[in-house]
Amino acid sequence: MAVDIPKSFEALPTSSPRHIGRGRRRVEDPALLTGRTQFVDDVELPRMLHCAILRSPFAHAKITEVDTREAESLPGVVAIVTGDDALRWSHPAQSSPEGWGTHCLATDAVRYVGEPVAAVAAVNRYVAEDAIELITVEYDPLDAVTDPVAAMAPDSTLVHAGQGTNVMMDRVFTWGEVDQAFEAADHVVSEKFRWNRMGANPTETFGCICEWDPLDLSLTIRGSIQSPSMFGLGRAATFALPSNKVNIISQPHGGSFGGKGGTRGTDVTCLLSRKADGRPVKWIEDRIEYLTAGGSQAWDRHYQASISVRQDGTVTGLRVGLIDDLGATGEAYGAICAAKPLAAFTGPYTIPVAEYDLKLVATNKVPSGPYRGMGPPPHFFVLEQLMDLAARRLGMDPAEFRRKNFIPNEAFPYTIPSGNEYDSGNYEEVLNQALALADYPALRSAQAEARQEGRLVGIGVASAIEPGVFDWNAYAIVGMPGTGVPEGATVSIDIMGFITVRVGFSLEGQGQYTLISQLVSDYFGTDPEMVRVVYLDTQSAPPSFGPGGSRLGVAITGAVLGACDRIRTKACRVVAALMQTEPENIVLHDGLFGIPGVPEAQMSVSDVAGTMLARSDLLPPDVDPRPEATHVWTAPGRTPADEEGRAKSYLTAAQAVHVVQVEIDRETGFVEIQRYCLADDCGTRLNPATVEGQTDGSVAQGIGAALLEEYSFDEDGQPQTTTFMDYLMPTVYEIPKVEKVAVVTPSPFTPLGAKGCGEGAIHTTPAAVLCAINDALAPIGQMAREVPAAPKRLWELIRAAGDTPEDGLI
Amino acid sequence: MKPAPFEYAAPPTLDEALAILSENDPDEVKILAGGQSLMPLLNMRLARPELLLDLTRIDELGGVRALDSAVSIGALATKRDVEDSSLVRDRNPLFMESTVMIGHPQIRNRGTVGGSMVQADPAAEYPAVAVALGAELVARGPGGERVIEADDFFITYLTTSLEPGEILTEVRVPDLPAGTGWSIQEVARRHGDFAIVGAVAMLRLESGVCVDPRIVIFGASDRARRHPEAEALLAGERPSAALFESAGQAVAQSLEDPTDDVHASADYRRDLARVLCARTLSEAMERAEGSGA
Amino acid sequence: MALCSIQVNVNGTNYQSVVEPRLSLADFLRHELGLTGTHVGCEHGVCGICNVLVDGRSVRACLLLAVQVDGQSVETVEGLAEGEKLHPIQQAFMDEQGLQCGFCTPGFIMSLKELLDCNPSPSEDEIKDVLGGSICRCTGYAGILRAVQSAVAKMGGGQPSSAD
Repeated sequence: MAVDIPKSFEALPTSSPRHIGRGRRRVEDPALLTGRTQFVDDVELPRMLHCAILRSPFAHAKITEVDTREAESLPGVVAIVTGDDALRWSHPAQSSPEGWGTHCLATDAVRYVGEPVAAVAAVNRYVAEDAIELITVEYDPLDAVTDPVAAMAPDSTLVHAGQGTNVMMDRVFTWGEVDQAFEAADHVVSEKFRWNRMGANPTETFGCICEWDPLDLSLTIRGSIQSPSMFGLGRAATFALPSNKVNIISQPHGGSFGGKGGTRGTDVTCLLSRKADGRPVKWIEDRIEYLTAGGSQAWDRHYQASISVRQDGTVTGLRVGLIDDLGATGEAYGAICAAKPLAAFTGPYTIPVAEYDLKLVATNKVPSGPYRGMGPPPHFFVLEQLMDLAARRLGMDPAEFRRKNFIPNEAFPYTIPSGNEYDSGNYEEVLNQALALADYPALRSAQAEARQEGRLVGIGVASAIEPGVFDWNAYAIVGMPGTGVPEGATVSIDIMGFITVRVGFSLEGQGQYTLISQLVSDYFGTDPEMVRVVYLDTQSAPPSFGPGGSRLGVAITGAVLGACDRIRTKACRVVAALMQTEPENIVLHDGLFGIPGVPEAQMSVSDVAGTMLARSDLLPPDVDPRPEATHVWTAPGRTPADEEGRAKSYLTAAQAVHVVQVEIDRETGFVEIQRYCLADDCGTRLNPATVEGQTDGSVAQGIGAALLEEYSFDEDGQPQTTTFMDYLMPTVYEIPKVEKVAVVTPSPFTPLGAKGCGEGAIHTTPAAVLCAINDALAPIGQMAREVPAAPKRLWELIRAAGDTPEDGLI
Repeated sequence: MKPAPFEYAAPPTLDEALAILSENDPDEVKILAGGQSLMPLLNMRLARPELLLDLTRIDELGGVRALDSAVSIGALATKRDVEDSSLVRDRNPLFMESTVMIGHPQIRNRGTVGGSMVQADPAAEYPAVAVALGAELVARGPGGERVIEADDFFITYLTTSLEPGEILTEVRVPDLPAGTGWSIQEVARRHGDFAIVGAVAMLRLESGVCVDPRIVIFGASDRARRHPEAEALLAGERPSAALFESAGQAVAQSLEDPTDDVHASADYRRDLARVLCARTLSEAMERAEGSGA
Repeated sequence: MALCSIQVNVNGTNYQSVVEPRLSLADFLRHELGLTGTHVGCEHGVCGICNVLVDGRSVRACLLLAVQVDGQSVETVEGLAEGEKLHPIQQAFMDEQGLQCGFCTPGFIMSLKELLDCNPSPSEDEIKDVLGGSICRCTGYAGILRAVQSAVAKMGGGQPSSAD
């Protein structure tokens, strides 16, 4: 049965959509606003125990003894697990690159501060924490290696002695004649950059409740789990269980941004449940656990990068050398973040050739993981600083320099050197809109005046691509196999005409349940209030990946519209039989099935559904009597990666231009963002209010990345930022008003023409803020090469410029 | 992140609190006021007393009262109580300004004046203004009542001259002398965070010259301190940007052992002390000129 | 460790409970009373997610012990709506998309309730002072600021401020 998924609003079976494309109130909100949404820590199960985890105080040490006897005798303690239990009952974690995973509890050595060593299940969390203090562990401290450059030296301390090296991967990818481009260039601009570790920090940490069934040998896990199906497959591998014996129930979660993590803690909790004869065990990661050893320390990167440029301003080549510090293991899939830039390596530009010299290195730090954007935000920070350096070298305005190198409208679909195909775009219009919104000429003249006064005022104009709708093939170079990421939905109409949609992902904040109600109500001409969205666990749900890689809005739209279309086809056969005509004569329009132009030959959706459910005797014999259908959508046309990692990977390419004005306090190094304007094009906007919300939030995270957020470690690998006093996320005071304008260039490849937009502005914001800072520093001959541009760093740069402000200036 | 077990007492009178204190090993007792600094330490198990002695039920330790030339603030008065006090607003705008700079409303609703003094966080505002204003801290212990000058009260990081068995009962904040210009400024990574460095400046102008200049730097080292060398440079001199800059340089030179941490190096803190000294002096001068007009 | 008997009024209902002294108010509300609408974000007083009202004042529920609220009244997010009618602040958050994941939202709403109860037409600085005490990771605060403006309008703000 061919499934017809509308590629535009006009193709929906309605005269004019009343819900989709509009900013609806969210169906998720009433429960959230009244405290009734059930997050994982709100779940109580009978006989439930509570887990606390004893963690390593050393970045690197041998474990010589673990003594749990005193803890076992504490009243209220039910089970204790150590590395011996992990060895007995589990396998090392799967990892990327392969072979760099360890057991969930340290078995012979600890390799980062915060690595779990033992864990207790007790009657409540207070007692569990009392008990872990009674466990004694003998450590034999070893030298820690925390600098990835030092870790690559042949005589370095090894994080994993058995590996013989700390280098997890070392490969150069070359796409085209890069040497020639650089030799022929009029200018080569080359710089080093440093992006420090930072990460997601959702307001809810990770949590889980694990139940090991000792007779059925099966596992049920409730948790704040972003990607339930993948999470389940991972646990099946860890515990050598058939995948149908692991059921994942994803509770609504308090944000994720890729950084929920939690696999290691979940495995520890599963071991505890097994040891406690199958009693459910809850583990709620506390904030210090999260900040010390949690799921999202991302992008710990050292770059050496260059572009080649012709005198006329054409960029002819890009070279990026990246040493990516992945921390102690590959279990958290930080390596994917090093691979994803292939999906948009050359940004919005026509740079024809490129090279990626990629080294993934192990150190004695927390395993690095994903975070919103999954790797391109630092890559674009680097590329955009190089673009500004080149523009400055050539004496060109940075906006015009970018305009000159933009991919032109007529070139889409456009294949970039690293293999991905961009679907559509109108980059010059986006630039024009952003410059107009900011009144760019006025900004520049105000800047000139400020510079006359000796003030460090800068303007950044940056552009980046948000790859949307991910596919595994994007990560082939770091050992992720396969192609195809499914999302399914089951749509059912009941006898009263009410509609239920069943999906396999839970609430996370992006409002997809609202989107589903908008889609279905416009498709069948009902009110959104008649549509209910129901979450199903992994053993019941249609195939699903869930949110991630800026995919779910597009993917669930495809799944829901596909399921609606399957119902439509089925219903048309039913109506045709009732009206004694052929199915191709029946049309669904504005909630009525019937023969166009014949007012008396029309049936409402609920009448058709009611007939199907109640009067199967009237239906053609081969028609399934349920007004229900499941559709599973995957991005079409994805190709396996070739030897050099090239693939059609992410289906969509959204683009944005941000214009930022900053002033740096010359004496303190503090940055004030004085103006923030952006234009972006993420194709058709299914729910504009939601898109804007994603943009606002992503700008804020980008500002945090650019100015505030950093996980610091001392030379011994001790984390220095383990509380919210030291890991600094923006508050309302640090976020400026963000002025926005939208350009809409639909994707030709997706349902309704929408593009992935959930990760959004963080692709561009750090680049833009740093461009502005470096524009401010240019007159004193300095450049910020390190993110975050913390005041201490800018103060050093200003001081290095010589403390010789012009006369009359303080 | 749950506290280790402890016993709890919340006596209704100061005498009972002092009695409980005397009956227990003082090292095993933690005194709870607003709890905005102590509770995180308890949750992290960095503080693990046998007994938590909660003073918040003692009514006599609350309130803000007028004295002849000072305001008496009960040790258990919250920052919110101060914020709402027209007496403090009228008598001491510097103390009021320092109050609203502290943290956030949810912290000020609970955090107490006495708690901040006894916590002696080097980056906190209250110890700094107490030193600048020459506040008196009143303590009661087994030996009776004792009045301690602010400058003698704050010893070093998180350490005061309170004796074991003593409880801070009251802070006497002298009224801002007539004609005094003042300023308190700080740099913090985010609004409401503890200061990386802060400064308090006070001065009067008589016959066009600076009188009774006071400079306190906080957040930069182990405790809030006045800087007599810099103050001496200012006294009797006509105010100017150049003079304030040289005072700032004197502050930077005399700053001992600046703190070095993830947010700021020692050198950076030293330089921020210079900058904030000059900036606060400049603002204090403007206020002094305004009040003299 | 001696247990303590406490009596607390929460959202208008009196509760009598026997608790360990070390039990936090947040854990008491969530796990003893089942009022799980108050969420916990950091347990060290920075994020503001657990803000509740004690005797009308917004405080961090992670920095208070249950024993400390003996004899006092506590308001949580569960106490705001009247039957099927959302409180105007809740309605404003819904209307203006002042939330995404919603985990921090109860803390913001309770702090704002204190503000608007005391001061129906707060200035922008007063609003920021209150919002600055909580962290939202999703919205970038834009929707929250819109929601506050909408709530002020709904609750009859725009009148001259009056202290309570």
